[in-house]
Amino acid sequence: MTSRPAWPAVLRHPSLHWILGALLGAVFVYASLDKIANPREFARIVYHYRLIGPSATLGFVPANLLAATLPWIEVVAGALLIAGIWRREAAAVAGSLLVVFIVAVAWALGQGIDLESCGCFTVSGGGRGAGLWLIAGDIGLLAAAAVLTFVRPAARTALRSGAVAVSN
Amino acid sequence: MLALRAVTIVAVGCTLGLLWNGFSGRGFALTGNAFILEGEEFEEIPAATAKARLDKGALFLDSRPLAFYEMSHIPGALPLPEDDFEGAFARLEPRLRGSLDIVVYCSGYGCEASHIVARKLRERRVHAAILHEGWPAWTDAGYSTRPGPQP
Repeated sequence: MTSRPAWPAVLRHPSLHWILGALLGAVFVYASLDKIANPREFARIVYHYRLIGPSATLGFVPANLLAATLPWIEVVAGALLIAGIWRREAAAVAGSLLVVFIVAVAWALGQGIDLESCGCFTVSGGGRGAGLWLIAGDIGLLAAAAVLTFVRPAARTALRSGAVAVSN
Repeated sequence: MLALRAVTIVAVGCTLGLLWNGFSGRGFALTGNAFILEGEEFEEIPAATAKARLDKGALFLDSRPLAFYEMSHIPGALPLPEDDFEGAFARLEPRLRGSLDIVVYCSGYGCEASHIVARKLRERRVHAAILHEGWPAWTDAGYSTRPGPQP
């Protein structure tokens, strides 16, 4: 972003970025814990999506690799968002993952696959199913990730001197 | 910078994930089937073997939901849906105990039902083989199917 877009001052407020980062990060870290503790159970949920296998052509490896690595990408991105380190980049990663989740759930719904657990926060059978509400929630999180990725927060000094209000 | 750091985050996540899977003791074999629990063994047979066994009188069990069975199933197969295992098992128990060769199938790779049914049968001392890749493997091989609720 070379030219400065005219984002509303509220979206550029550093406190908003801090809050959105902490919330999004907390969701991602929380979502990763049960999957990290139970990789095999998470792999079974990935299979149920039937998106990247297992299948005759793909075998088990792609789905297994995704199941082993995805929760750790979530936890790394989530921790960075909470800490406020590389927040923009971590939000871009989180946003990309959310797009993948939305596509996966929409795909499963479209294929008529009955997911008893979406594999979002827990790997147990009693977990949340995959439905339209889940997609709505993911889109909300995606909006937060988009703000953190595309809107540069105003510098605190600029904010105090009222430069933000003037520039907009 | 954004792309480089984002790739770094993904790379670090992947590395940690693979290390955790390899060394934490909680991991699983990345080349294997996660439907099969640790220390568990199933007899998984390809469609051609299943067909040969069917021709010799093997008992086939359809572990998909009953609605799928009633739409179409392998000729001679009996419904033992995973979502109504107890009820169906009670009805079929005499047949199951009298069969020496049992094959379970479900909707294919992403489907866990045949593993769950075979596991529950084993707990009841009934051995069942699993049709590898299930229903799609059977239909892709061009073997016959039968519509309707009758076996």
